[in-house]
Amino acid sequence: MTDQFNNRPDIPVSHLGVLDIIRVGGSGLKTRRFRAVLSAIGITIGIATLVGILGLSESGSADLIKELDALGTNLLTVQAGEGFQAGQVSLPADAASMIKRIDPVYEVATISRVSGGVFRNDLIEDGRTRGITIFAGDLNLVKAQRGSLKAGAYLTDTTSEFPIVVLGAVAAERLGISEILGDQKIVVGDTWFTVGGILNPLHLAADLDRGAIIGYGAAEKFLDHDDPADVVYVRAYPEHVNDVRSVMAATVNPQNPEEVQVSRASDVLEARAAATTTFTSLFVGLGAVALLVGGVGIANVMVMAVIERRNEIGLRRALGATRFHIASQFLTESLLLSTIGGVTGILIGILATAVFTIIKDWILVIPGYAIMGGIISSILIGGIAGFYPALRAANLSPTEALRTK
Amino acid sequence: MALADESLPKAVELKRVSKSYAGTPPVNALSDVSISVSRGEFLGIIGASGSGKTTFLHIVGTLTNPTFGSVFINGLDTAGMSDRVLAGMRSKYIGFVFQEYFLLQGFTATENVENGLLYSGISASERRDRSEAMLERVGLSHRLTHLPNEMSGGEQQRVAIARALVHSPSFILADEPTGNLDSKNTESLMELLVSLNDEGTTMILITHDLDVAAMSKRQVTLRDGRILSDSYVQQGSVND
Repeated sequence: MTDQFNNRPDIPVSHLGVLDIIRVGGSGLKTRRFRAVLSAIGITIGIATLVGILGLSESGSADLIKELDALGTNLLTVQAGEGFQAGQVSLPADAASMIKRIDPVYEVATISRVSGGVFRNDLIEDGRTRGITIFAGDLNLVKAQRGSLKAGAYLTDTTSEFPIVVLGAVAAERLGISEILGDQKIVVGDTWFTVGGILNPLHLAADLDRGAIIGYGAAEKFLDHDDPADVVYVRAYPEHVNDVRSVMAATVNPQNPEEVQVSRASDVLEARAAATTTFTSLFVGLGAVALLVGGVGIANVMVMAVIERRNEIGLRRALGATRFHIASQFLTESLLLSTIGGVTGILIGILATAVFTIIKDWILVIPGYAIMGGIISSILIGGIAGFYPALRAANLSPTEALRTK
Repeated sequence: MALADESLPKAVELKRVSKSYAGTPPVNALSDVSISVSRGEFLGIIGASGSGKTTFLHIVGTLTNPTFGSVFINGLDTAGMSDRVLAGMRSKYIGFVFQEYFLLQGFTATENVENGLLYSGISASERRDRSEAMLERVGLSHRLTHLPNEMSGGEQQRVAIARALVHSPSFILADEPTGNLDSKNTESLMELLVSLNDEGTTMILITHDLDVAAMSKRQVTLRDGRILSDSYVQQGSVND
């Protein structure tokens, strides 16, 4: 229908450049700043929640990965499982030496549980052990665990033969010992031992945190203990960990491989990471609800704007605005509202994450998809929220719009 | 006194225009109206309320289509023009002035006048220059950066006139421009319209106020949607 009027120099074409569309769209916000801020807050909260939660979750897993990297994912823990017969099963006496023969294994450390309690002094009743276990441990135990000492020193070739004990982090706390002061003695079993060192928490073997570790030599000499290892910690080359794991049981106990239980210590940490993901989903859901509510808020404000600015619409139509120009003005206004809200939300989300990671001493990671997702979803929401009001404004007849009564 | 220039196309020409609105019974707002306005004319449309003035304004302003008949703007038949083309026609050939001024609050006088050029594809800097020049022409060079609520009604209406004129339209369509003004401001605004007409601007003034209509050189009286009289008059006197 319009074809006959195209390309005729005497018939003008109504024109509005992109820059002017943005300017005109922004003009509605400029004169109603307070309302603009209020209506954008919903989007801001929603986007801030999403960016903050995704940032925190990523920062948290980055921290966990860092921790895992430091601890290594190649530590296998071998211990006696539950056999078919009743009663306690144990690892064969030669378990450690058998494991050492597996090719990709480069480090083997063992512990053996020693019966008896650990006491601050010899006046405490035998029953009050405070849940501390005595372990006889290898000299390379801490190294295999990639653990570190909070104070003092770990057992050496020499000290492992003497009544010297190294306390796990929790055990030391329960005994009220936080530093190594001269010749501090405690009762291990029924013998006085000197505290030689205190360990920092071991992330891959929480059992040892509640342990009092003495040398195999000392265990035999002073506590009359000569049982073989209960737990074997095995470090294998990372690329072969799964292979080593699969042959482990049969190597340790060829007759009854089902009595051998093999676990990968880092699996626990990974499970922890998976648990936080569930929590993250919950908050992402909450953020999405806030976004939805924010979108409805913007749509509401835009519908009101169209009603209030009826005369402006009529005037613009009289000045030469087409239906499309009117629609684009209101759509742009809605998009600006939601985008400003979204960008503010992204900044707040980043800030909140930064503050939290500084407090937690984590690495700050803001995933790109959170920022992109934030921008895209605010644009989408602005577009959807503004669509109906824009259409309504565009379809208002100029004569109707210019009416003042 | 500028005389009608017959060498250019007619500013407006209505040929047997009727407009009726649906209803029971249907309302015939305009019936068989034919009129042509040459360039340079100062036409006063006079009528009581319900006479069809507003419908006449809407038809001549291309804001609505007639039920029957043809509307020519600057010699171009508007029949069959799309929304986009009609908007373009308004942005180039027509300058609207309304009783309520319709200035955008929160925007300066200059920015309001610039809106008169917004949809005609002129650069922002030229829009500014032409708007400032036009405000100077209507006597508001000292009000360029004032907001509407900082100006009197008379000044606001002058801003609206500058906005209607800034794109050099074929004619100004003024709907009761003095309706919200006191007698002193009415007088000075009419002086402005007369002087703009003297410089060649075609004026179509719609009013119910006979004193205001008396300033026009040609008076058309509407009653019940029909043209009752159409006569050229001596300036400053009312000729029934």
